Amino acid sequence: MGQDVFEITINAVKMVAIFLLMVQLVPVLVWVERRGSAFIQNRFGPNRVGPLGLTQLLADAVKFLFKEEYIPNGANRLLFYGAPVMALVPGALAFGSLPLSMPIKIEPFSISILGMSIATTKAYTFAFQSFDIGIGIVFVLGVSSLGAYALLMAGWSSNNKYSLYGALRASAQMISYELALGLSLVGVLLLYNTFTFSEMINLQQGPLTINVMGAVKEISFLPNWGIFFQPLGAIILFSAMFAETNRLPFDLPEAEAELVAGYHTAYGGLKMLMFYIGEYGHMLVASGLMVTFYFGGYNLPLIDSAQVVEHFVGHGLSANAAAVMGALALFVVFLAKVLVFLWIFIWVRWSLPRFRYDQLMDLGWKTMLPWALANTIVTAVVILVLRNKWVH
Amino acid sequence: MENSLLFYVLSTLIVLFSFGMLVAANPVFSALFLALTMVGLAGLFFHLEAYFIAGVQLIVYAGAVMVLFVMVLMLFDLKKEIAPFSRGTLAGFVKLVCAGALFGLIIGAAKHSTEMMMITPEQAASQSGYAVEMKALATLLFTKYLLAFEVLGVLLLLIAVGVVAVSRAKGGTHVRS
Repeated sequence: MGQDVFEITINAVKMVAIFLLMVQLVPVLVWVERRGSAFIQNRFGPNRVGPLGLTQLLADAVKFLFKEEYIPNGANRLLFYGAPVMALVPGALAFGSLPLSMPIKIEPFSISILGMSIATTKAYTFAFQSFDIGIGIVFVLGVSSLGAYALLMAGWSSNNKYSLYGALRASAQMISYELALGLSLVGVLLLYNTFTFSEMINLQQGPLTINVMGAVKEISFLPNWGIFFQPLGAIILFSAMFAETNRLPFDLPEAEAELVAGYHTAYGGLKMLMFYIGEYGHMLVASGLMVTFYFGGYNLPLIDSAQVVEHFVGHGLSANAAAVMGALALFVVFLAKVLVFLWIFIWVRWSLPRFRYDQLMDLGWKTMLPWALANTIVTAVVILVLRNKWVH
Repeated sequence: MENSLLFYVLSTLIVLFSFGMLVAANPVFSALFLALTMVGLAGLFFHLEAYFIAGVQLIVYAGAVMVLFVMVLMLFDLKKEIAPFSRGTLAGFVKLVCAGALFGLIIGAAKHSTEMMMITPEQAASQSGYAVEMKALATLLFTKYLLAFEVLGVLLLLIAVGVVAVSRAKGGTHVRS
């Protein structure tokens, strides 16, 4: 957590703030989803409550809060109540380990806010994430794989065959696509030679640099992003993410024409909302991973994060204020990139029809898995050949 | 002090979860308890700063293996089988014997594997950081234990092929006549 009160306080506030950020993005996303789907289908969508229908979600939240508490007959109470909570955990944990902006370096300072004076004598570095865990991506994969439990618990404890079908479909789908997802990431790991998110992002700074057997070629108008080295991996990862988040065209677990609403058929009110938050949390993590691996993370194209801080120093801010402002500016950049991917999630959902179940399994096992394997092998060979200096 | 506190909390939880797995009458609860045990183990690995092993523990055991277990158990309607499986003197006796044998095995393994498991504080200090640990792990896997590693892989492949062969004969979603 930290060495002294100041550091511990900042870290604790940071954890809560990042979790709240995830939860608070959900109403905005639901609004974008409803308005976006309406736009795609040539409808209006919710536009009555507040400007552009923006406060519709506030009204919805109040409605969810006041709904009747309902438990189906013969349901298992413990698991029935536990499942919505469990649905929140993987997304929140995984989102907490993503670096949302550059680390803030704080020099010793003393200020007084509202009569309280804060003075430090040490220099601190605060990572712009809930916790920086060295293994980064392994941790995210590990926690996301726990997401299947929430669906299984919900489906089984509802004592309802549609729920159970939905849960079984969901978990089979998640396990199948986790393989392709994990394998598509191996190429990235080989490329960056690290598990840590912040190191990956630092490696993607500056112009596109291609290293062929010791000869370095620089393409000055393109950023050094992972997408130029791993296009196939990026496509496989992003498609597998759709299956992991159970969204169209992979939404068989909640296929409403066949299963009512799948694993959360028997849920209502706030418990239902928590499943929603879990799903959107998964989407956030998926988009964050795409940005971190393939699109330069929080960095602006071609601009180093240090340059951003220097820019703010040039505008007459102190070193500490410039560090905070720079981090906030880059956080906005990260958020903008993530929102682009979230929009693609929504766009695809309202454009494509649902797969049939055998098509889904064929796509996962017979198409994406071999391609991901091929991507891994080709990347390994290419990196071995190109990066080797052939001198001993 | 705070380190050992975390250890005791985690170990107590793991023991409780394992006990819950044994005594739960419903197999689904048993499987869920086992999954919690796996998560607790991963927590212990995190606590020992063996981050990679902890992550793999989460992905493989808690995330994949136990999910499959839970899934299969939920498919069966186990209401009738529960009683004869988990009640009765004979079943209880067999359980006790199994638990005792397993306990003896674990203690024996821990006692006889000192040279492999024990790390002196100096060694631990020189091998700090997950990167070093992972590199060492990978080097060992691909040099000293290469044969065992490959044989294990072949064994798993064999099982997968066998399962496909067995299940294919009885039909399924992909049967083409």
